[in-house]
Amino acid sequence: MTVPLAYYLVLSAVLFSIGVAAFLIRRNIITVFLAIELMLNAVNLAFVTFAHQWRIVNGQIFVFFVMVVAAAEAAVGLAIIITIFRARNTLNIDQVDLMKL
Amino acid sequence: MTAAGYPGVSYLRLLLMTLPQIAIAATAFLALTVDLATLRKASLRTRWRVGTLIACAGCAGAILLLFLYPQYGSFGDGMLIANPLTRVVQTALLVLAAFTALLSFDAVFTSHIGEYLAVILFATTGMMFLVASQNFLLIFISLELLSLSLYILAAFNKSSRQSAEGALKYFLFGGMSAAFLLFGISLLYGLTGSINLVEINRAIQGRPLTPMLAVALVMTVTGFGFKVAAVPFHLWAPDAYQGAPTPSGAFIASSSKVASFFVFAQVMLVGLAAGQGSGAWHNSKAGWAPVIVAVAALSMILGNLAAIVQTSVRRLLAYSAVGHAGYMLLGILAQSAWGVRALIYYVITYALAAIGAFGVLAALEAGDNVGVDEIPDLAGLSRRAPVLSFCMLIFFLSLAGIPPLAGFFGKFYLFSAALAGENSGPLWLVVLAIAMSAISLYYYLRVVKQIYVGEPAAAAPPMKISRTVTATLCVIALLVVVLGCAPNLLVGWIGSAMHLP
Amino acid sequence: MYLALFIFFAVLCVAGALNLLLQRHPINSALSLIVVMTSLAVLYLLLGAQFLAAVQVIVYSGAIMVLFTFVIMLLNAGREEHTRGSRAAFLVGFPGAAVLLALLVQIFLSARGHLAQARLGEYVTATHTLSSVLFRDLLLPFEVTSVLILIAILGAVALARKEP
Repeated sequence: MTVPLAYYLVLSAVLFSIGVAAFLIRRNIITVFLAIELMLNAVNLAFVTFAHQWRIVNGQIFVFFVMVVAAAEAAVGLAIIITIFRARNTLNIDQVDLMKL
Repeated sequence: MTAAGYPGVSYLRLLLMTLPQIAIAATAFLALTVDLATLRKASLRTRWRVGTLIACAGCAGAILLLFLYPQYGSFGDGMLIANPLTRVVQTALLVLAAFTALLSFDAVFTSHIGEYLAVILFATTGMMFLVASQNFLLIFISLELLSLSLYILAAFNKSSRQSAEGALKYFLFGGMSAAFLLFGISLLYGLTGSINLVEINRAIQGRPLTPMLAVALVMTVTGFGFKVAAVPFHLWAPDAYQGAPTPSGAFIASSSKVASFFVFAQVMLVGLAAGQGSGAWHNSKAGWAPVIVAVAALSMILGNLAAIVQTSVRRLLAYSAVGHAGYMLLGILAQSAWGVRALIYYVITYALAAIGAFGVLAALEAGDNVGVDEIPDLAGLSRRAPVLSFCMLIFFLSLAGIPPLAGFFGKFYLFSAALAGENSGPLWLVVLAIAMSAISLYYYLRVVKQIYVGEPAAAAPPMKISRTVTATLCVIALLVVVLGCAPNLLVGWIGSAMHLP
Repeated sequence: MYLALFIFFAVLCVAGALNLLLQRHPINSALSLIVVMTSLAVLYLLLGAQFLAAVQVIVYSGAIMVLFTFVIMLLNAGREEHTRGSRAAFLVGFPGAAVLLALLVQIFLSARGHLAQARLGEYVTATHTLSSVLFRDLLLPFEVTSVLILIAILGAVALARKEP
């Protein structure tokens, strides 16, 4: 029994698109941030799939580094969110609009 | 590269090649430790003085290392490349980092001086790796290292609500674009089985532009387009520029631009040039050319037109940066060594003018103890701070591209490189660029007019500006003038580093 | 069997992701992201990436998501309200994501011919293979990562600390 690797890639595309949709639609800053994490996860799946395709370990290593970067990004991002919350007492992205876009 | 690895990995060589980066990282630690351990009770002024001194000494030391012990060569699968060209860019980055530290002198937005300087220096370490790598793995990591530092720097003023807001927008758009860049890299990896730029280029050579490759190209351009703030990925720029503490803004506008543009050009010209493969890269039009043409044209138009209606100096600088990003993309479009040379000259001189403009704003803030943001705030500045006003005049005229200054020659080289060669960019794009430069003159002069002709608010006394900051600004202004009057100093250096005749 | 496993966990992934998208309370979204990540770990296992599967559970659904839930609790985030922005975002967000999805799926399905089939236990990456590459050939990125983490700590402390 086999599964075409293309299915894995399609799954990755689905997750990525849902991430993009959530990034655009959700109004809570933390949920928007979660959407970015979802997109990174989708990319990781694509990397692992391609590593399987090429039989090179490179792709898996890349995923490893993406995880580290995601962890670092989470720390900094959440710190920024905390400073925002302290200043405004809101997590709604539409109310963070001191400056016009 | 296989799992078995290669026997001849020389760690000593790696150590020698990365000495300048190590020196900067060590300086960051030193600045942090000294500030946290020994200067807790000292006044802000002393702490700035010591910290800035350490940072500048570190940058000077790293530049010395670059010149006294140049270690040219490459290490491990394109992971680290050191050649004369990367040395030019790294030197520029170090000089800009030192200027940023000097311009932060006496700033009042934070009391975490050690952390602030350490983040700047670590960001510089990241940029030095960024420009010296032709492997997507290290490019991605050092790009994220740079981005994280910039988010932190943008949010550093905790008493300002705008600072956190700008940082948040920067961060969210940055995270999104990093995901797109990664998806692009993963598709390229899937197509070629490699994350080394040279190997990717070899593998996509002679292949038709398949939909998968096209999507990979667009996503990669998205990722880097965000870093250089090109339309339509520029949305973060105005808010980050306006909200960030002014010295951080100077860093975001100058140093990170130099590194981002260099790596953008590297990825496009070394890694993806053979996109539509019809032989060697210098006589084929890359598949990404239409995408870059569109992004460049949009950036020029939108950046310059939006800058006209801005009332905040920082937002004006942000939108003008978008416009400048559009011009600089012409250097990548040229797909020639001359294009790269013009691009590097342009981005370095642009960075000098931008860091200078932000530096003047920072000095005014420190001198007045109030925020200077709206253009009318600058009215009559020439009578209150003549030296600073003159520096600002030079920076703005250089940004506008007025002849004896560096900005003019930057545009000249860039546009002529874009027109020369078989691979010339479309003529209409160059015409558009020239037209837009003419428009940009209007909004730059509007600020200058306000400084020299505007009436100051009643009873505004002359300002007290820190002597260090004034001296730094004069040096930057002098550099802009000298590089403009004798452009060959820099262009010749870049050219010889690239072995151009 | 393999196909069944794949389908089960792929469906779980998509369901979790959709739940993240549709829930209005951030804690629900965070928990559904944990479902996605854990199912992805199983998919990594199916693709022979043992070590990554373990790291995915420990680092991603363990450490990172705990950080998220912790911050959600700390800030006591509530349900998000409807604002004027949300309608516009709906109008832009769904079509945009749908176009992206259609494009990517089309590309991947058309590339099916070039892509291999995955069998269970066919290409299993042993951890020692991974580590020898990571610590020998990729020493430099590994070291640069340490600077990255340091920056993150430094920044998080400097930003999140309450000013006296």
